[in-house]
Amino acid sequence: MAEEQKKQERKKRRTATEAASSIGPMVKEFITGTIRAKAEGKKLAYTFIVCCYDEILGAMDVVPVWTENFAGVCGAKRDAERFLERAESQSFSRSLCTYALCGLGFDQWREELGEMPPDAPWGGQARPDFMLSSGQILCDPRNKWYQAAQQYMPDVPIYDVGLPYPLYEDDIEVADVQDYYIKYIVAELRGLVKFLEEQTGKKMDYDRLGELVDLGERTWNLIWETYDLRRAVPTPMGTGDAMNTMVPMVFMMGTQEAYDFFVKLNKELKDKIAKKEGVVEDEKYRLLWGGGLPSWFALTDFNYFNSKGAVFPVETTYRMIEPIYRLNMPDTNDPIERLAWRWLGYWTYWYDKAKKRPGSEPDVERLIQYIEDYQIDGVVMHEAFSCRTWHLGLIWQLNQLRKIYKPIPVLILGKDGKKREEKRELPSLILESDIIDISTYSEVDTRNRIDAFIETLEQVRKNKADLR
Amino acid sequence: MSDYFAGIDIGSTMTKVVIMNDGIISSIIGPTGPEQRRLANKVMENALNQAGLPFEAITYLVATGYGRINVPFADKQVTEISCHAKGVAHFFPECKTIIDIGGQDSKGITIDHGRPTDFVMNDKCAAGTGRFLEVIAEALGITIQDLGGMALKSNQPAQISNICTVFAEQEVVARLAEGVPLNDLVAGILESLASRISRMVNRLKVANEVVITGGGAKNAGLVKALSDKLGYATLVPPEPLITGAVGAALLGKDIVQKAKKNSLPLERKKRSLEEIEIL
Repeated sequence: MAEEQKKQERKKRRTATEAASSIGPMVKEFITGTIRAKAEGKKLAYTFIVCCYDEILGAMDVVPVWTENFAGVCGAKRDAERFLERAESQSFSRSLCTYALCGLGFDQWREELGEMPPDAPWGGQARPDFMLSSGQILCDPRNKWYQAAQQYMPDVPIYDVGLPYPLYEDDIEVADVQDYYIKYIVAELRGLVKFLEEQTGKKMDYDRLGELVDLGERTWNLIWETYDLRRAVPTPMGTGDAMNTMVPMVFMMGTQEAYDFFVKLNKELKDKIAKKEGVVEDEKYRLLWGGGLPSWFALTDFNYFNSKGAVFPVETTYRMIEPIYRLNMPDTNDPIERLAWRWLGYWTYWYDKAKKRPGSEPDVERLIQYIEDYQIDGVVMHEAFSCRTWHLGLIWQLNQLRKIYKPIPVLILGKDGKKREEKRELPSLILESDIIDISTYSEVDTRNRIDAFIETLEQVRKNKADLR
Repeated sequence: MSDYFAGIDIGSTMTKVVIMNDGIISSIIGPTGPEQRRLANKVMENALNQAGLPFEAITYLVATGYGRINVPFADKQVTEISCHAKGVAHFFPECKTIIDIGGQDSKGITIDHGRPTDFVMNDKCAAGTGRFLEVIAEALGITIQDLGGMALKSNQPAQISNICTVFAEQEVVARLAEGVPLNDLVAGILESLASRISRMVNRLKVANEVVITGGGAKNAGLVKALSDKLGYATLVPPEPLITGAVGAALLGKDIVQKAKKNSLPLERKKRSLEEIEIL
């Protein structure tokens, strides 16, 4: 069976950067490391990425088990189906979040056997000592997944961390409400510390936490500076690679390894830029991955884009950082408060910019900024059917882009030396599938859409050339 | 010696071939199926016979449609988006929006001077395609060709709430048993289909002129329902199935003319009019 699965695994995706190609072993180490940690008697917590409290877990020596990551690995190895089917047999609907379904199917199987399911990907997902659920990004599975998992692990306690941020309203100033939010978030994080102290029998070392938060903040700045290098033409790194390099960002925040990884990536990108070495030899089209988690089982689609001369210098997905110095954080030595301000600052970062453009919204404003900063020719999004939170607003964002950005005329200097107005033409492509449910995916249809999109980009370019 | 240009559009349901020089000199439409897809060369032969030309007389041949890959007798493959844009602009130079309703997919394309500027596609769900109409016509025991005329006779289209083809079929049968007049049912079905297509197309910047192509364009009831939903008058080419093949032929013509104009060698594939290899 293992042999058959191995045959089904796809060939390793070609990456543009050395740094991205080093991620696979790193992820494998997360997973096998949790199994090792369990054997060593360390405390393991099921938890979710982009959780705001990575450094708290680090300071308490709690080993995070990133349940979304394990589901993604199952998807990437094309070995999620048996866990999805098992969850379905437990009466969970296939239209729920497939990360959650995969995790629930796996947990149920592991608990039923009392050991890892046969040929579990990379050794399987270790049993947690406690689970940290949270609803911070309006993702309901983040609350409900672990509640459902608890029926298979009734002895494993859950702590629910609520980390809200104000939703965007163009007539509400964040500054007017932020103190209330900070107070709430700080209380939630202090509650988490108390819970962890109870579970581990250890007291929080706040000096150590402060050091990790410092390191986390330096890492945020470094990632931003590193990703910004991708503005170069030709771009030295694309979204396909960013789906790998997000690992140290969202799974290892506040660790020296994450910082060192981005130092290395930064250097690699600068070297490539100096040598004018791009993702593809002949860069023709620069695309924005405008949202949606990727189909983990079809990351080679990025290579297919590359084969047509198309690159993705920027993406909104997994770019979960902004430069710390732009977040208007007050001076405070309390590391819990700093985490809270960083959290709130990140989620409200685009609010003020959106207010300046009638009809805009923070997510749309971010697209516009990236379109301009990275000289974008077209936008690609992925609508994954099982992830409502992430994917529901994507088409709406494209609609807003069409209404408030594209109609603005641009002045172009023609060959005759005269200025003339030109419409912004920014074709978009919506891919439809799922994050790990391969039954939703058709390679032929997907690539047919990509072919048509590339031809459209080319025709738009020809139209512009004819007009100038 | 005249140059002749051919376009072959191998769709999910029909295979279309057009041969052109200054205008269309031959066009053939044949069914596509597992066997017919392999034998698309036969449709090509029929078109050549109709034009009275040997295969060697074709200066350039472009293949399009879902079956365009691995066509051994084509010089180039181009997607149906570009070919529809080119083909429709040939018939309607002022066209800005195309809605193509095929057998198993539907598309919206915005164009500028015959070139696509944006598009949307539905290739995931039978609802919104000709397949939906086939299933419903079969459930009602009528032919797909009858649907359009029947719908136009209805004064009170029935409400069909299900958008899934399978469940809509069940709903239609149930409504029929309730005694809803057939014409009203058919009109309701076409409104449901038009609603689904217009929601997709409205993701684009729809602008006049709006042209409908594909098998769906032959259904007068659907064309009316779609015009009503979109709020635009719509146009239909004389033969709405061949616009993709016409566009393919014209794109071939452009390639040849550009090569001649710039005194460049014409890049052509070694081609042979034989069966398509299907893995």
